[in-house]
Amino acid sequence: MNALIAVIIGAVTIYLAYTRYARRIDRNVIQSDPKRATPAVLYMDGVDFMPTNRNILFGYHFKSIAAAGPIVGAIVAASLWGWLPAFIWLVVGVSFMGWASDYSAIVLSVRNEGNSLSAVAHRLISPRTRTILFLFIFFYLLLIAGAFVGIMAQTLDSQPKTHLGMILLVLMGLLLGQMLYRWRVGLLPATVVAVGITFLAILAGPATEGFFRSFNGFFNSLTGGAPIVTYFDPTLAGFKGAEAEIMPSLLFWAIAISIFCYAGSVLPIWRMAQPVVYVGFWITAIAMILGLAGASLGTFIKPEIAAFQIPAFKGWNPQLGPAGVMPLWPMLFVTIACGAISGWHSLFGSVGTARQIESEADMLPIGAGAMFAEFLLGLLALLAVTVGAKGGSPVATFASGLGGFISVFGLKGEYAVSLAFAAFIVIVLVVTQLIFRIMRVTLTEWLGELVPPLRNQHVASFISVVLAILLVMTGTWIYLWQLFGGANQLMAALSLLLVTIWLAAQGRSWAFAGVPTLFMYFTTVASILVTAYNLYYNVYVPNAAAGRAVPAVGSALMIVVALLLVAAALLIGVDGARAFLKYSRLARSSGAEAAPARG
Amino acid sequence: MSFAADVKDFLYGLTGYEFARHALETRREVEKIFLAATLGDLVGIPVMPPVYSLRLLPYVLPEIEKWKREMARTKELWEREEFDLHGI
Repeated sequence: MNALIAVIIGAVTIYLAYTRYARRIDRNVIQSDPKRATPAVLYMDGVDFMPTNRNILFGYHFKSIAAAGPIVGAIVAASLWGWLPAFIWLVVGVSFMGWASDYSAIVLSVRNEGNSLSAVAHRLISPRTRTILFLFIFFYLLLIAGAFVGIMAQTLDSQPKTHLGMILLVLMGLLLGQMLYRWRVGLLPATVVAVGITFLAILAGPATEGFFRSFNGFFNSLTGGAPIVTYFDPTLAGFKGAEAEIMPSLLFWAIAISIFCYAGSVLPIWRMAQPVVYVGFWITAIAMILGLAGASLGTFIKPEIAAFQIPAFKGWNPQLGPAGVMPLWPMLFVTIACGAISGWHSLFGSVGTARQIESEADMLPIGAGAMFAEFLLGLLALLAVTVGAKGGSPVATFASGLGGFISVFGLKGEYAVSLAFAAFIVIVLVVTQLIFRIMRVTLTEWLGELVPPLRNQHVASFISVVLAILLVMTGTWIYLWQLFGGANQLMAALSLLLVTIWLAAQGRSWAFAGVPTLFMYFTTVASILVTAYNLYYNVYVPNAAAGRAVPAVGSALMIVVALLLVAAALLIGVDGARAFLKYSRLARSSGAEAAPARG
Repeated sequence: MSFAADVKDFLYGLTGYEFARHALETRREVEKIFLAATLGDLVGIPVMPPVYSLRLLPYVLPEIEKWKREMARTKELWEREEFDLHGI
């Protein structure tokens, strides 16, 4: 097996899934009708509801759903179970569930006057489903913020060659915002300046490595080289578990990232968050396009960089720490989310994209097409980590693999790897600042009435940052990632559940959404329980026994969040099953539409 | 439509479209405040209609229907462009 064969299998799969399965569902079950007026046409307001050309909307939707998710998940999964299970799940997941989830969320919204999933849930299932979704999102964001800050801090701490690029990324983002919104510079010249300078800074990274290494050394010398926190991390030493230390330089980077995210959260969106995302998008896109092309060409030009290095299969239940379990089912299916199926896509598809759909004929190419395109991103990440050099952290392996692909185009090895590292950090960094922004707003909306100080954006942002840092200090980012994956996939299950209920109420065939709903629901609840078990026996017990306060508190917090997610899932499941049975009975007895939903 | 035009549209959707949407959102926010301050009585806000509101009426008339629908619609906090997570 090599990279080219994997790319060909992936391309053929999505072609068949789109033409043989997705189109059939669109034609026979949903019966999309180009003559039916969409909410964008009916309620055109020039902003939210606006009929938009399908090519523009495809680009917009793809950009909104594709970034860090498929990359991190594929890296972790390949490291734990080998590349074959990850590859199979990516292919099967996107073919039978991922596209169905994204596409049907858009359909549901389009056929329900552009209402969001939560508004439809309120009507079809019960009012409390909407409230649960709201609380659910806050914990979802907290988990991913903790996971991402932890990953970035560790990567920045260990890779001084990426520092210059990251500093310039932030500065160029600020400059781009100023150029576009204040100096009225055109998008093209502003992009060339901002992205060009950032790109050059990333390539110059290896030349500045010595300087930034001494920068890290300065912080570590403040404690005489002693760690600030020592803890037991079950993911170290090849997942056998070992003592780990948080050095002052790592804490510095975690705080530096938090300050950056804090600024992104409280400054006007045009000033920082949006332009930084834009510059980051270009850096990542360049690296990914070069990587995908390199993976295909490498087989012929440099066969050694396209050969798979890690085992195809590492086991059904790799031991993760002294007492940990990591069964392939259910854990693989939450570890890889976005390249296969993701709940966040549905949430945004239903409020962002659905209200701009010009014709029902566009729902499939945009909803399913963008998901299949994202699958390719996940596949590239999987290939990169699979061909990467053995040893090192999963992120280093990924960067080594992606750098190898990029080097096909003549870029010197160390610069190609530097670009790959930067692409990874950029993609995670820009998303994290947005996460803190949404956390701040969610916290204010959720508790602002009860606790008035939370209406202050600085207070809400500060609390969000402190909670995330507390999770980072536990040191177990893989568990954080899997808890986030569980929350994300539960949201996908909820979205599919809503679609299933709506289809049943319409008297249509609901199997294409109903079967994935059942699979994702039971899989994600099981995965959250497994993660809670692992956190308790692998992180909480060893650290509490050793008298370490911070990791024990952090892991206890994660266990509480996990149990809250399970409770929320059970409530939604019970309410959803009742609604499904009710509408199915009504549809059967009346032989017509039973729900107060349109379509 | 040619393939080149399709690609151009796709790239615009990928890059500049979000800036355009943000600009439109910003403009709408300002317009909403303006309309609420001058013609708020149309949506139940107790604004004493000054005489120049009547003078403005012909100019804002085409926007009133959209504005009233926008004011009445239930909104989710994550539905604005600025709260898009971009790729999770």
